[in-house]
Amino acid sequence: MATVKRYSPAYKAAFYAFMFVSVIVTLFPFVWMLSTSFKSPGEIFTKHPTILPQLWTTGGYRGLFAAVNMWLHLWNSVIYAVSITVLSVLFNAMAAYAFAKLRFPGREKLFALLLVTMMVPGQVTMLPVFLILKSMGLLNSYAGLVLPGSAAIFAIFMIRQFMMEIPEEILEAARIDGFSEFAIFWRIMLPLCRPIIATLTVFSFIGAWNDFLWPLIIMLREDKYTLPVALASVNGQYNTDWGLLMAGAVLVVLPAVIIFLMAQKHYIKGIAAGAVKG
Amino acid sequence: MLRKIILTIAVLSCFGCAEVSAGQQQLTVWAMGAEGKLIRQAADIFEKRNPGVKIVTQAIPWTGAHEKLVTAVVGDMAPDISQMGTTWMPEFRAMNALEPLNGFMPASALDTGDFFPGARESNVSDDQWYGLPWYVDTRVMFYRTDLAAKAGYKKFPENWEGFYKFSKALTRSKEGGYAFSLPTNDWQIFLMFYWQNGGELLKGSPLTAGKFEGTIDYLKKFFDEKLAPLEGGNDTDLLTAFESGYFPVFISGPWMISQLETSKPQLNGRWATAPLPAGERRASFMGGCNLVMFKSSPRKALAWKFMEFMSAPEIQAKWYAVSGDLPASRKAWNAPALSKNSKLASFRKELDTAKAPPQVPEWENIAGSINDAVEEAVFGKVPPQAAREKLSARIEKILAKAERQQSAAFKIALSLFLFLIPVCAAGLYLRKGPRAVVRSKFQPIAILFLLPAVLILAVFLFIPIVASFIASMTNWNMYGVNDWSKVVFVGLENYSGLFRDPVFLAGLRNTLVFAFIGVPVSVTLSLLMALALNAQILRAKAFFRVAYFIPVITTMVAVAMIWRWLYNPEFGLFNLALGYLGVPPQGWLSNRWLALPSLILMAVWKGFGYNTIIFVAALQSIPDSLYESIALDGADTRQEFWYITLPMLRNTAFFVIIMTTIGYLQFFAEPYIMTGGGPLNSTMSVVLYMYQQGFKFYNLGYASAMAYILFGLIFAFTTVQFRVQKKVEGNF
Repeated sequence: MATVKRYSPAYKAAFYAFMFVSVIVTLFPFVWMLSTSFKSPGEIFTKHPTILPQLWTTGGYRGLFAAVNMWLHLWNSVIYAVSITVLSVLFNAMAAYAFAKLRFPGREKLFALLLVTMMVPGQVTMLPVFLILKSMGLLNSYAGLVLPGSAAIFAIFMIRQFMMEIPEEILEAARIDGFSEFAIFWRIMLPLCRPIIATLTVFSFIGAWNDFLWPLIIMLREDKYTLPVALASVNGQYNTDWGLLMAGAVLVVLPAVIIFLMAQKHYIKGIAAGAVKG
Repeated sequence: MLRKIILTIAVLSCFGCAEVSAGQQQLTVWAMGAEGKLIRQAADIFEKRNPGVKIVTQAIPWTGAHEKLVTAVVGDMAPDISQMGTTWMPEFRAMNALEPLNGFMPASALDTGDFFPGARESNVSDDQWYGLPWYVDTRVMFYRTDLAAKAGYKKFPENWEGFYKFSKALTRSKEGGYAFSLPTNDWQIFLMFYWQNGGELLKGSPLTAGKFEGTIDYLKKFFDEKLAPLEGGNDTDLLTAFESGYFPVFISGPWMISQLETSKPQLNGRWATAPLPAGERRASFMGGCNLVMFKSSPRKALAWKFMEFMSAPEIQAKWYAVSGDLPASRKAWNAPALSKNSKLASFRKELDTAKAPPQVPEWENIAGSINDAVEEAVFGKVPPQAAREKLSARIEKILAKAERQQSAAFKIALSLFLFLIPVCAAGLYLRKGPRAVVRSKFQPIAILFLLPAVLILAVFLFIPIVASFIASMTNWNMYGVNDWSKVVFVGLENYSGLFRDPVFLAGLRNTLVFAFIGVPVSVTLSLLMALALNAQILRAKAFFRVAYFIPVITTMVAVAMIWRWLYNPEFGLFNLALGYLGVPPQGWLSNRWLALPSLILMAVWKGFGYNTIIFVAALQSIPDSLYESIALDGADTRQEFWYITLPMLRNTAFFVIIMTTIGYLQFFAEPYIMTGGGPLNSTMSVVLYMYQQGFKFYNLGYASAMAYILFGLIFAFTTVQFRVQKKVEGNF
């Protein structure tokens, strides 16, 4: 175990003061959003807003549940985000393993090519991807919705960088023990990469969870809308019901917070570190 | 394996497919936002009157509605009928997506003369109807009657001169604030004054000489004499400013009535609406929406029946009761709910003379140019006459994108040739250099590991990239979205045009500033916060990790609402703080020097948590044994950081720096939602301009060219970073 250092009380106090100030700065808008979702329309835009609502109302939430079929869209969102996350973690980690630890001709070149294509802004490829899906007959299908997002260069890049830190000796030892490459990947690499896999899970999930335009244009029918699309469809062109909007924002954010809370448990010190005998 | 997954997903996706019972006729109708939900009530009446017909209504979110409609047309997924914004009509006509309606009219009871003239304009082209007006809106003055009375006015002034005097009296009679909210970046407001002044658009010449200058001179008086704020008017919360008296007068549409009544009930009885003051003539802006039938509809007779039904005066009046939308049918206005409402009287008056913008597919692009020109003129950067000449030239250029012809064979040959360029380049790139990998070390299993990801990337990334690269050398625009024969090869014209496009150049400069400041600040902050989160003495780590990550996951609309309030020029937190220090209030989002830094601050706040958790994850893999051994050597915390932590983080840090640079060079969300690129394009970014050109104006070729210039820039930056990393690596 690491030696526990002793810190002076003054150092500790200063450290915690800094942490709390920074937390106020980052949490403030979230708290604001939460409180606005319980405010009445007259209270939302005022010159001297209060942190807590003076008159609590659940009107925004009730309005939302009345306007859209919340459970259906929640279910659609879960299906979409979970399938993207599962496929993307699997495919990208596999590719990252090949780039980090396996040998094949043109490895560096192929990787460089991936990095280069990552630099093209995504907006210009949206319409071509749409047209390709059309020619494959995959518009208005889950495959069309999920497949294009299930491999991402940034994810391959991120995991490869992490895997490169894992010492070659572990793999060599496993190979001598007769492990196949799939076994090494599945039973050694993935467990060792837990923190970064957790991070990718969060990123993929949140990316898909908050995605708006893609599910909107790929899926034809209203009963296939994901949560953000369904919530956005409640707003008028000029009239924005802010209570309703904020209630929707809260409902969209909460599952993402839960996923993050679950994932961050995997930030455990020394899984990889402990495996190496120096 | 991939096939299996595709199959499974495809099978899964068929669950829940709806079935239509035999003998029943089904009609799909799309409408936007609130209308999309409410139209169900009209559909119910229609279904009752027409047994055997089932209307499927679908609500499309306003954000993304334009994209949804375009892609629906391109992807053969269009409904039978859709709601359509009046300014979108020409574009969809150009895409050849709308069914002409004249053929249905002789046999119909519909009286097209009953529609307001301004509402007719957007539906008719060359005497052919392409849609029917559904509802209209127009702009009027909203003003505080109590403050007007205090200034000595019982009635709202009726002409320009009177309004100017009224504004002066208003500002004199109250403390602080202004008379009039006059946004500098709203072409609709400018156009109303311009029309009132007798100006015309695209009639013979693009603009009327003299009338443009006269309008600028009149409006500029309000800014110069502090009757309206030149800076800080665009980012004010209108409702609150109306209540406080900061802006006792503003221009808005019918939706504002219910908005004021529900969110500012304390103001009831102290405000009223009035027709816009007349110049040479009356003119307001005609907005609203139409209903259109798509060419692809297989049930056109039934679709027409529904459209006819929605336009009938009886249903139009009922629709007002349901939605608050103003009827496009004049007869419907005889209903007591409309004719007896005093707040609506000014709207009714304006509707007779309200004008719609010219019906050209390029209108959105022209409107954007009007914004730019007006802003430059009222800021005094360009004299009015020069501004008109410049704007006229720009409009002519936008409209002059004449249709060019090229033979199909030439196009195919050219595409093949262009396709070969990147392929050959890639081939050359992959071939050159010594073979570093010895054959005996080749592990064929690697191919299996790579296959799923590389296959998906090849289909959904590599091919689209090549396609968009080819597109960047064509004039691919809205005429060609649905019709390849209209796409013409233009060589490097888009690229050379960009370097003469002042908006693009401004965007390029802002993007560089943004990245140069944003990347170092954001990465350093992330690393610091990650170290703090990893500190031994920190308890409740989960709480702090979530707290730092919250800005990343909070929805952009919520974030934008709060930051707008922080930056509010009248009562925002930032100006409040400055007030305590004795510094005058600033227009954080409307001052052209402050706007970009304000957005950088917001972007750093929203984004640093992302990199923080990547660093936190990476910190977990540093073996404690390293720290122990260096501690034994008597190293302090600072040395630990420089000799252990930083070197061990280098792979991750490299990844973070590269990704952050790419992210900041593709800066988009913040200006898109907060400033729209203004004021004076001081927050325009390359990707925002690309988005506008690509998805608002549908100049897809031009937008693609922009993407490749940005790509070149990113490529240069990352190459430098790679070189630096190689050098640094050598030192370890």
